[in-house]
Amino acid sequence: MDANRKILLVDDEAPITDNLVPFLERAGFQVAVAVNGEEAIQKAAEFVPDLLVMDVLMPKLDGRGALRRLRQAGNWTPIILLTQVGESVERAMALEEGADDYLNKPFDPHELVARIRAVLRRTRPGQPSLAAASRLVCGPLNLDRRARRVRLGEQEIALSPKAVNLLEYLMTHPDELVTRERLLDVVWGWDYPVGMRAVDTRVAELRRLLDDDPLHPTFIETVTGQGYRFLGPVETVQ
Amino acid sequence: MKARWGVALLPAVLGLALNIWLASFPGQNPVLYLRASLGILLLLVGVILSALTCLFLALDAGQEQRRADLLSKAGDDRLRFLRRLDHELKNPLTAIRAGLANISEAPGEDARQEAVRSVEMQVMRLSSLSANLRKLADLEKQEVEHTPVDMVELLRESFDLARSQAGGSRRLSLSIPEAPWPLPRVEGDQDLLFLAVHNLLDNAIKFSRPDDRVEVRAFEDGSSLVIEVADTGAGVPEEELQHVWEELYRGQAARGIPGSGLGLALVRTIAERHTGQVTMRSSFGQGTVVRLKLPAVTKR
Repeated sequence: MDANRKILLVDDEAPITDNLVPFLERAGFQVAVAVNGEEAIQKAAEFVPDLLVMDVLMPKLDGRGALRRLRQAGNWTPIILLTQVGESVERAMALEEGADDYLNKPFDPHELVARIRAVLRRTRPGQPSLAAASRLVCGPLNLDRRARRVRLGEQEIALSPKAVNLLEYLMTHPDELVTRERLLDVVWGWDYPVGMRAVDTRVAELRRLLDDDPLHPTFIETVTGQGYRFLGPVETVQ
Repeated sequence: MKARWGVALLPAVLGLALNIWLASFPGQNPVLYLRASLGILLLLVGVILSALTCLFLALDAGQEQRRADLLSKAGDDRLRFLRRLDHELKNPLTAIRAGLANISEAPGEDARQEAVRSVEMQVMRLSSLSANLRKLADLEKQEVEHTPVDMVELLRESFDLARSQAGGSRRLSLSIPEAPWPLPRVEGDQDLLFLAVHNLLDNAIKFSRPDDRVEVRAFEDGSSLVIEVADTGAGVPEEELQHVWEELYRGQAARGIPGSGLGLALVRTIAERHTGQVTMRSSFGQGTVVRLKLPAVTKR
């Protein structure tokens, strides 16, 4: 099914690209490599990939800069950012600038393939994705990503910053099973032995404040033993 | 620093104020005539100048010393950290090299699979080391959330988790006072506070034997909430006590027990980021008590 899908892999570390290219090819993708942001922009025009996998810290033009330039030029090819260690700020920025997903190094290559497939499934070609929208709406629920504000109907909801990040990730990945490990990796930025509990507590906080009944949810559904799923449909308001 | 300049300017400001005050009574500003022999005057000026110079030199020397001490301590800490990091990397890397040799020279498929599994395990170990280091670095500067946290609930949950992990092999107890009033809340980041308590309990269980006691106590002390985690386990030798909070430090007793050497460093950083304190008392062979002191949210 992925036979014709083209991936542009952007990373300046040859040992990483050397090993990922055959892995992605075995997974059925057609792969090209760029070694910095400038080359990525150039190859994005020539190779016309279906998706970019891009590192953040690179010479010449870094991943964030390249992402911003592509988006400004109206190129909405989905992008997965490979964030560098210790840069939780980087992740928040990536969200605002319209990366479709991201993965912390070091990662399991199987996880990368799973991410690529999930993003490709979700994408509507040529259109801005939810990840690039500044406001997300689902029924009465309204998330202003730039101001970090959440409204339910006319009522403004006071959420902790982490709960806002959590809601943001769920809303930009509607109708997708998001595991607790993934939420931990993406929202908290680090994994720890008691992390699962942290995720559950925050989801409980979200549900309480959004008045969402876990047994008959309108927004967040529990997938027993696995994770959570945001019950769409999510729309963008520019 | 600013306060010191304020003190220095105080006499001048006072003089100016008195001058203005006296000048506001026309003809009332008295004139003071002083008469001294030139010899005495010169002596006096000399003594005052010497005293001021001495004072200045003493202050400066003290500061210099303090600065030098801080710098050399930072240098020592850095060196120790690098040595420990080198040590932590060396072991899994050695195992990986051996594993790779085994993979290429494996006599059969089973042996090859075995070697691959072992390399994978060492890679996971390095990944978790990198994750822990990142966590620590993040914590140093990341913004900490400030919401009122119910420590009682947090302690209960963390205690239940520890109990299920210990699997009934330790005698665990939790004591939380309810009279004359329930424990105050703590303002902070619940995930981090949970991690701190969890690490303390995890250590108490790790460094004790079956049938040892592990006690968790919480109480109010002035404007603080104190959490103590005590055990009748192995204890920490006196010479190791001052190092237990350092990154990647692992005591004699910790060799052979799995861990990153970052658990207590994390607890210390979390305590500091909550303007709290954490201290350890221990007696080798008898047990250990760690006391985590956090500022409580002022009255209900």
